Amino acid sequence: MVRDRAQDRDACVLDVRDLRVSYHTAAGPVRAVNGVSFFLRPAERLGLVGESGSGKTTTALSLMRLLQESAVIEGGEVLLDGVDLLRLSQEAMRLARFARISLIPQGAMNSLNPMMKVGEQLRDTIRAHRNGGNSRVTFDTRIQEVLQSVDLYAGVMDRYPHELSGGMKQRVCIAMAILLNPKVIIADEPTSALDVVVQRQVMETLRRVQEALGASVILVGHDMGLMAQFVDRIGVMYGGKLVEVGPVRGIFKDPLHPYTQLLIKSLPNLQTKEDFRGIPGLTPSLLAPPPGCMFHPRCPQAMQRCSVDVPALAEVKPDRWVACHLYDRGQA
Amino acid sequence: MKSLLEARNVTRIFGSGLLHKGRTVAVDGVSLIISEDKPSITAIAGESGSGKTTLARLLLGMIQPTSGSILYRGDSLTAMDGRARKKFRREVQAIFQDPYEAYNPVYKVDQTLSTPVRKFRLAHSKEEAHQRIAESLRMAGLRPEETLGRYPHQLSGGQRQRIMVARALLLNPRVILADEPVSMVDASLRATILESLVRLKRELGISLIYITHDLTTAYQASQNIYILYRGSVAEVGSVEKVIKDPKHPYTRLLVSSVPLPDPDIRWGGESAIEARASAPSAPLQEVRGCKFSNRCPYVMAECRQAPPPLYRTDDDRAVACYLHKNSAPVGGREMAESLALA
Repeated sequence: MVRDRAQDRDACVLDVRDLRVSYHTAAGPVRAVNGVSFFLRPAERLGLVGESGSGKTTTALSLMRLLQESAVIEGGEVLLDGVDLLRLSQEAMRLARFARISLIPQGAMNSLNPMMKVGEQLRDTIRAHRNGGNSRVTFDTRIQEVLQSVDLYAGVMDRYPHELSGGMKQRVCIAMAILLNPKVIIADEPTSALDVVVQRQVMETLRRVQEALGASVILVGHDMGLMAQFVDRIGVMYGGKLVEVGPVRGIFKDPLHPYTQLLIKSLPNLQTKEDFRGIPGLTPSLLAPPPGCMFHPRCPQAMQRCSVDVPALAEVKPDRWVACHLYDRGQA
Repeated sequence: MKSLLEARNVTRIFGSGLLHKGRTVAVDGVSLIISEDKPSITAIAGESGSGKTTLARLLLGMIQPTSGSILYRGDSLTAMDGRARKKFRREVQAIFQDPYEAYNPVYKVDQTLSTPVRKFRLAHSKEEAHQRIAESLRMAGLRPEETLGRYPHQLSGGQRQRIMVARALLLNPRVILADEPVSMVDASLRATILESLVRLKRELGISLIYITHDLTTAYQASQNIYILYRGSVAEVGSVEKVIKDPKHPYTRLLVSSVPLPDPDIRWGGESAIEARASAPSAPLQEVRGCKFSNRCPYVMAECRQAPPPLYRTDDDRAVACYLHKNSAPVGGREMAESLALA
């Protein structure tokens, strides 16, 4: 029985529908995100994975409306509690950032202002969302509370970013992201610059504060190990489209889309040696995308219609979404 | 056994200055041997600050050791004549993490590939040169027609990396030293690049020194592994022993922190170590005894007195930790020799 999608959507925090984003380049427009739809349940952790150029970061930044100037959101809706973020005024969107949807950016540690003490940067974040009235003392109480929740001592407030280690800077960025109790936290490869030991500590901190807050998280990245350890569901992107969405265990143990199958097989493990199974072929050029399914030129199971018709993302089993003609009605 | 490339008790200290302020011992008495007789893949693993990149630069002759020496085919790099040095430069190739700095931004990437062809006379005609370049690009997973004629900034980090792999392949080296060659490359391509490196060993007899922070790919690709912690070898041996059954508390912390791509195998293990390691880390001051002692949950009085020697717990593994002092101590060079021989 296929679950009623509308029911699921009613309960979700974030509902992204048919998002389309292009970059304008000298060589012509590049469709980086091409009709992406997904939803986020309350307090869930969703992973968005894909190779570079798959559109995962562009998707994440579109939700915050923090794209580069060359990027244009051409269509779609980003419904946060029913309100379309793409249609908010600049000022309303500014107020929504951090307060309702926040971002821990890629290489977050370099996103801190090197000239400003950590405490001042955190105060700024609160100030930008309050119209006076609140004293510095109440700000600082909240800041100290949040710093403590990410395992930082209060003295960090009087430090400049360069005085902190990479892991500590990353924790400051998490603190900033949760300062105003957002409903959704987007973390874009938050630990890619950190060592494994620190990475694990930072991810466990993020999980703890997210659970305490009851916020939902979108973790963007390509580290499948991190995904396996951190998220509840995974969305797999390829060539600007979501090709599969499902629970983390299903994606790893029973992947449905041929791309996901090859991706899972390509992962190194500690069981076998010298057993490398890369995915043959190359990622598609977004300037001249192939017709039909973006993956068909590399797909070992491609059929004739794959080079003609674009497969739509459909729920083929409860909570298992896949965009592939192998699962067209009557064939699976 | 003849050694092809060897680090003999190498130490490198940066920035001495008055009163030794700001003195950093980046590499501290490390010995490592790559055998000439048998192609091998040797991993050097560690986190940032472990000294793995400094060791790589020492092995390449880019910097000189403060003490100890680097030898190629038995000759010290510092004492080599011009001819031997040219041979060394051709036979030992390097691949770095982000090779952007290896490119001249005002030249097309073609130059990066055609220069070695010219310098080392790898081709007799223009067509042959082009063919060799195209072939090596394809081996690295690139379409020559989409790569040649471009400027470095027009390519992605992954593409730039694959060009460096292609460049190394072009020269038919004896040893390739790869410093985090796949850390900026996508998962699906990572396997392809590592496979091509392993194939170089199997089919062409090229030895590889694989420098990485990623224990999973180190396990997959290599036979032996050196685990570095703040410049010293903490544990060394076959990957089967070191990664499957780590003995040094630091190696155990590292292995248990690896996020395995399997939702059924949760981050687990050593909770005592985690608790200690989660505490704000002490500044990188010099520790008199074992460098891990201020993070180690098993720290004993002697750990703070003098750095532990390597203890040989197995034929193919040694651990620098007093917890294993019941095993016989072994010199770093002796251990490196016996691993290279195995």
